Amino acid sequence: MGALEIVNFYLVPGIVVGSIYALGAVGITLVFAILRYAHLAHGDLATLGAFLALGAVTILGVSPYVALPIAMLLTAVISVGIDKTFYAYLRERPKIVTVMASLGVALMVRSLVQVVWGVDSETYSRGIVRPENWFGIRLRDREIVTVLAMVALVLALQVFLKRSKWGKAMRAMSDNPDLALLSGVDNRKVVTLTWLIVGGLCAAAGVFLGLNYELKAMMGWTMLLPMFAAAILGGVGRIEGAVLGGLIVGIAEEMSTLFLPTEYKAATAFAILLLMLLVRPTGLLKGKVL
Amino acid sequence: MKKFRTAALAALFGATALAAPAHADVKIGLLGGVTGPIAAMAPAMIDSANLAIQQVNEAGGILAGEKLVGVVGDSACNPQNGTDAATKAVNIEGVVAIVGPHCSGSVLAAANSVTIPAGITIVTPSGTSPEITSLKDNDTVFRTVSSDDYQGRALARTLLERGTKKVAVAYLNNDYGKGLADAFRAEFEEKGGEIAGFAAHEGEKASYRSNLAELASGGADTLVVLDYGDGSGLTMLRQALENGFFENFVGADGMKSDAPIKELGAENLATFLASAPVGEKSDALEMFSKAFSDVGGDPSAIFVTTSYDAAFMLALAIEKAGGDKAKVAASLREISSGEGEPIRPGEWAKAKELIAAGKAIDYKGAAGDHNFDANGDVPGAYALFKVTDEGFEVVTEMK
Repeated sequence: MGALEIVNFYLVPGIVVGSIYALGAVGITLVFAILRYAHLAHGDLATLGAFLALGAVTILGVSPYVALPIAMLLTAVISVGIDKTFYAYLRERPKIVTVMASLGVALMVRSLVQVVWGVDSETYSRGIVRPENWFGIRLRDREIVTVLAMVALVLALQVFLKRSKWGKAMRAMSDNPDLALLSGVDNRKVVTLTWLIVGGLCAAAGVFLGLNYELKAMMGWTMLLPMFAAAILGGVGRIEGAVLGGLIVGIAEEMSTLFLPTEYKAATAFAILLLMLLVRPTGLLKGKVL
Repeated sequence: MKKFRTAALAALFGATALAAPAHADVKIGLLGGVTGPIAAMAPAMIDSANLAIQQVNEAGGILAGEKLVGVVGDSACNPQNGTDAATKAVNIEGVVAIVGPHCSGSVLAAANSVTIPAGITIVTPSGTSPEITSLKDNDTVFRTVSSDDYQGRALARTLLERGTKKVAVAYLNNDYGKGLADAFRAEFEEKGGEIAGFAAHEGEKASYRSNLAELASGGADTLVVLDYGDGSGLTMLRQALENGFFENFVGADGMKSDAPIKELGAENLATFLASAPVGEKSDALEMFSKAFSDVGGDPSAIFVTTSYDAAFMLALAIEKAGGDKAKVAASLREISSGEGEPIRPGEWAKAKELIAAGKAIDYKGAAGDHNFDANGDVPGAYALFKVTDEGFEVVTEMK
């Protein structure tokens, strides 16, 4: 097998799917760092975002790229609503209660998607897109956009966290919520802001997943495990770690078929998660929580 | 003592009563997935089995004018409930035979742990797993639906006849995909074809490009996808087309779904073929359709013909066996051996006379002739379909 084939059929799909995992993992890591629990509805929020974009595509007749910001905005607002309706009451209770509540939210969001859009596979545009040849490397436009958009979103988030007042407030709350409160940081506003960002990132992950593959009611749920594996691999609470983790999980999944029977591909994320928790639970880049 | 006297009295009355109403009912179990994943299909299947029972009772009843009664049990489409429902039917209700259970998993569990040890004959109208064929069942497990084994083998032969000698096979890692794939591979290799790649995949993954690259590395230009067209089969088909891994694509009944046409476009599926079971037009089917429509049923619903046939054939077998549950299985073979006076759906009175006269009968069912092979299986009729602008169109019958 030539090097070009490895790049085309193993590395490129790995990077694309890894970028999507990364977008999800960044959201998971933010919730972990600031709110301190595992958010199990993350995958299904991504599904919701993807289907909201489908709604925009079908109703407004726009391209999926135009639908992306609309879906991000809607999902961000819905995430805040979910937080206010379901998680806010549980804030003072043990975190495991919120984790279980998020599982319930996941089921509700998925059912809602199934009620509105049905259970069949959908796509943003009919037909197939053959890749273009760039000096032997075969790439589609949407694959390039996916990776670039991921990088842009993560860079913007990093700048926001490092430079802006509210970003600093978020980091302060992540370090020590009580101290942040005493220093005049409004925790409730920070929580709302966190959900806005997380919801937007969720929708982006879902839209890019749907753009590159298909839209299915179960699509987000099946992505949840690799996303968690990516967040833990990179070090919980580290944005750049989540990106690194996402890419590693995505590439490892695709590359695994070179060495393992293909039915074990889905188990690769499990194996990485297990190994990481055993050997280095803080992740590759030392995580701030856990 | 009192019980004995009652029984003796009952026997006396039974023997002497000529035109008296039936002294006891003959029960058959109707085990189906009333709850669970096939809950949407089960009611129509049970209704059509009940139609057969109703026809028997309206045309003179079974044996010495007794009433045939269907006892419905919920096998819930899983092994645990299948076993529970079969236990209840056999040990508490005392059924003579069972129609069902509906799903392969339930059939295997109920047969192994309940009906085979008890010697009760079961006929499933919808369990298609090839595993059922190889059950060590003392010839008590039958089905009126054909095994996926037939479809896999028929597909292999049809492809070879069409000149496809080298294929790669991708199958979904579950009972359906694995059963079909194993049958396909066995026949294809035996008849001189070459399998250049053979791999299972898990459903619902986003990317199958590396799986496809592995399969394509064997050098085949035809990919056989044994998966569901609404699920990962669609993803595989799309990615194989987009990347040019294969030129021709072949699927089985799971892939004969509208989803690939809707999502990929008929113009991109010119090289895609799918096999699927087809009904054979017959007088028997028309007689059943009319009778089932008259009682408010939908004759084109899935598995209603096989359910009806299973119930009617068991009634014939019980009649032939004189109500002896140990002889039902052997009688079931006799009433549908391919030789004798043909009996079609609903012709109970005629069948009863012939059986009483000791003449051979041969049931021609709504879903087919049901001449069981040594394993209690029936062959199915399949056709190969291609995609046109209007949907799927038959290319050729499959032998």
